[in-house]
Amino acid sequence: MASYIFKRLGEMIPVLLIISFIVFALVFVAGNPVALMLPEDASQEDIDQLTASLGLDQPFLVQYGKYLFHLVQGEFGESFRYNTSALPLVLERLPATLELAVAALVLAVTMAIPLGIWSATKQNSPVDLLAAGGSVIGKAMPNFWLGIMLILIFSVMLGWFPVSGRGTLGHLVLPALTLATGLAAEITRLLRSSMIEILNQDYIRTARSKGMREGMVVYKHAFRNSLIPLVTVVALQTSTVVGGTLITETVFSWPGLGQLLIQAVHTRDMAIVQACVFVIAVLVIFMNLVADVLYRLLDPRIKYE
Amino acid sequence: MKKLWMFITIVLLLAGCGDGHEDAAEKGTETKGESGRTLTIAIGTDIVSFDIHNHNNTSTEAVHDNMFNYLFKRDENNVIQPELVETFDIIDDRTVEMTLKEGVTFHNGDPLTSEDVKFTLERVAADDTLQEYPNYKQIKEVEVIDDRTFRVITHEAEPSLFHRLSRLGSGILPKTYIEEEGWDNFLANPVGTGPYQFKEWVRDSKIVLTPYENYFEGVVEEWDEVVFRVIPENSTRVAELLTGGVDIAVNLPPADWERVAENEGTSVKTETSNRTIMLILRATEGYPTADLRVRQALDLAIDNKAITENVLRGGGIPTKTRVAPGNFGAEESLYNTYDYDVEKAKQLLKEAGYPDGFEMTLHSPHGRYLQDAEVAELIAGMLQAVNVDVRLELMEWSNFVEMRQAGENKDAYLIGLGNSMFDGAYSVDWYRSDRFVGETDYKNEEIDTLLEASAVNLDVDERAKQIQEIQRIAAKEVPHIMLHQETINYGVSDRIEFVPSMDEMIYAPAISRK
Repeated sequence: MASYIFKRLGEMIPVLLIISFIVFALVFVAGNPVALMLPEDASQEDIDQLTASLGLDQPFLVQYGKYLFHLVQGEFGESFRYNTSALPLVLERLPATLELAVAALVLAVTMAIPLGIWSATKQNSPVDLLAAGGSVIGKAMPNFWLGIMLILIFSVMLGWFPVSGRGTLGHLVLPALTLATGLAAEITRLLRSSMIEILNQDYIRTARSKGMREGMVVYKHAFRNSLIPLVTVVALQTSTVVGGTLITETVFSWPGLGQLLIQAVHTRDMAIVQACVFVIAVLVIFMNLVADVLYRLLDPRIKYE
Repeated sequence: MKKLWMFITIVLLLAGCGDGHEDAAEKGTETKGESGRTLTIAIGTDIVSFDIHNHNNTSTEAVHDNMFNYLFKRDENNVIQPELVETFDIIDDRTVEMTLKEGVTFHNGDPLTSEDVKFTLERVAADDTLQEYPNYKQIKEVEVIDDRTFRVITHEAEPSLFHRLSRLGSGILPKTYIEEEGWDNFLANPVGTGPYQFKEWVRDSKIVLTPYENYFEGVVEEWDEVVFRVIPENSTRVAELLTGGVDIAVNLPPADWERVAENEGTSVKTETSNRTIMLILRATEGYPTADLRVRQALDLAIDNKAITENVLRGGGIPTKTRVAPGNFGAEESLYNTYDYDVEKAKQLLKEAGYPDGFEMTLHSPHGRYLQDAEVAELIAGMLQAVNVDVRLELMEWSNFVEMRQAGENKDAYLIGLGNSMFDGAYSVDWYRSDRFVGETDYKNEEIDTLLEASAVNLDVDERAKQIQEIQRIAAKEVPHIMLHQETINYGVSDRIEFVPSMDEMIYAPAISRK
C-alpha cells in the first residue's frame, strides 16, 4: 500500500503544475492589479510607474517563468495587498477552513446516515416523503441565503448562537450547518437509493430467512455494503465543501481561506490566489487519496496495483 | 466499521477543539463585558497593512488614525491645525520650518525627533513602489536642524503641503525601532505616537488596540480596549449591531436603515462623505456629448433630487460641484442645488441637431458606490424622457477600471470621486486638458490657465478664488454632470456617543459611553 500511496503522491506534481499554469493565466488575463491598488483619480503616469516597479509590465512568459522559479523553492511571491509573503498568509488561515469543512462534513454525515437508512427501510412512508422533500429543499437553498436566514432566526430572534466570528463551539454551529445542509441532502438521497438496491439482494433475503433480526440485517449487512458509495461521495464532496466555504466564511466573517481568496480575487492579488488554489488543490487530491485508502479498510477484497 | 466510527470520533473531537485562546474577544456578546469598556466597531474590509505608506484604503486609515499622529490634522470644522507640530514658519516658496511638540513618545518609549520625521517623509517621497508615493513625491528633502526642529523642502512651490501633511500616509514612523528591529517586525508589532497602541491583529477577523499610557495629550481612559471586527457581509454586520455584538457598524445599506432605526437600542447616524457621484462625459469629436448644448441638455434632464430621495432614501445631497463645503476652495453657491428642466433640455437638443434624440452608452460600476446601479438605471430612464436612448453597461469594478485605462469609455460613465487632501485643487484638476487625452478630451483654455496659476500660488485667498472660478466655468460647460455628494451611514448602539466625520475616520478618543 505504501508504494501505491507514493505513486499517487508523485502524480500530484504534474497536476499541481497544470493547475498553477491555468490559475496564473486566468489571473493574468483578468488584468493589471495596479489599477485597483491606486485611487480613482490616480494619473496614468502613476499607474505606469507602479506597474513597472512591481514587474507587472513584463511579458506573460517572463512573469510565469519567474513565478515558477520561486514556486519550486516553495515561494508564491509577495501579496500586492498585504505586502508580505503569500504562503504563510494562506497557511495561517488553513486551520479555520479545515475546522469549518470537517465540522460540516461530520454534521452532514451525522444527519444523512439515519435519514438515508430510515427512508430506505420505510419506503414511500410519510418519513420517506418528508426526507425526500427536505433533501430537495436542502440542496436547492443557496448557502448565502441559508446562512443569513440562520443568523436571523438563531442569533437575532432566539439569541442562541453568536452572529459571526470564530472562537467557541457556538461560533461553529451556524456556519457548519449552512455548509452541511446541501451535502446532507445529497448523501441522504444517495444512501437511500444504495440501501434500497442492497436490501433487494439475495444475501439480504438469506439473512432474513435465517431469522436474523431486521436491525442486524439493515445495519450489519445492508448499511455496511452501502459505505463504499458513501465514502466516494463524501470524498468527492470535499471540493464542494471547500468551495462552499468561500460564501459561508464571508457571511459568517469566518477568518479562513475562503474569505482570503474572495478578497484576493477582487483585488487581483495574484500571489494569494495562486497560493490559495494550490493549497485547496492539495487538500482535494489528498482527500481523494484518503477515500481510496478507506475503500481498502472497508472492503479488504479491493487490491491496489 | 469500528475504524470508520473511530475516524469520525477523532474528526468530531478535532472539530470541537478550535482555538480556545480566541474565544473571549471574538464572542460578540463579550463586548458588553463586565464594565462595558470595550468599544467594538464592525468594519467591512480588513486593514491592508500597518505600512502607512503602502495602502489606499479608508478603513485601514480609520484604524491607523488611532495609532499614529500626523504633523497637522484637520479639526471638526475641517480647518488644518498643528498636531505633532508646535510651531511652524514659512521660510520661502519651497521651505517650511517646523518645531515638534515636547514630550511626544512612541509606544515603545522612544522620543519623537526630527530624525523620525525625516525618515518617514523621505521614504514615501523617494520610493516609487509605495502607493502613497504620488502624493508625497513633491517633497525634495527634510533638513534636520536639531532634535525638534526641521525643514520640509519641496521641489517646487507647494501650496498643498499642509493638506499633504494632514492626511493618510503622513503619520510619523519610529526610525530607530524600524532600523534596529526591521520592517517585518514593525509590520507585525507596529509602533506609533497615537492615543492607542497595537495589541493584536487576527487577519480578516479583528484588530485590537489598547490605550497608550504616555500619550502626549494624556491617556484616553474611556475605553480599555478598542476592537475593530472585520465583517464583510452587510446583513451580518447589521445582525451583530442588533444583537449587541458591536457598537458601530459601518456602511449601513439603505435597505436596513429603517430596521436599525426602529430597533430598541440602536440608531442610524449619517454624515456627508467627501465623495461626489458624477457622470464623466466624452467631449471627443464625433460624440454627441462633444457639443456643449448636448451636455447641458443631459444635465437638465436629470432630476438629482429624485435620485437622492428615491434611490438613496435621503443618502445624498444634490450638487453642481464636486468640491463640497469643508474642502479648500469650495464654491458653496453650487452646492445643494441642481438644474432640472426637461423642456429646456429638449430645446437644447433640437438646437444641437438632435430633435429626435440619439443613442448613447453609459458605463457604471456595480456595487462600488451607494446604489450605483440603481442610480444609473434611473438616469437612463430620465434621459429617455428627452428621447435619449441609453445603453446601460453595468460593470464589475476591475473591468470598469480597465475600460477607463484603455480609453474604451463611450459617451459617459458614472464614477464617485473623493478627495483625501480636502483641497479643491485636486478635484478641479480633472478638467486639465492634457490629463485625460483619449479618455474625455475636454479642453478649456481658461480653466487650463487658472489651473496652472493655482498650482504654484501660495496666496491662500487668491488660490481659493481661482479654484472657485474653475468650478463656476465647469458648472456652465458641464464636462462632468454632477449628481450628488454621498452620505456615509453608520448603525450605532445607543450606549455610545458617536459623531461621524466627513473623512470617514473612526477616532476612538472622540467616542464616549453615555
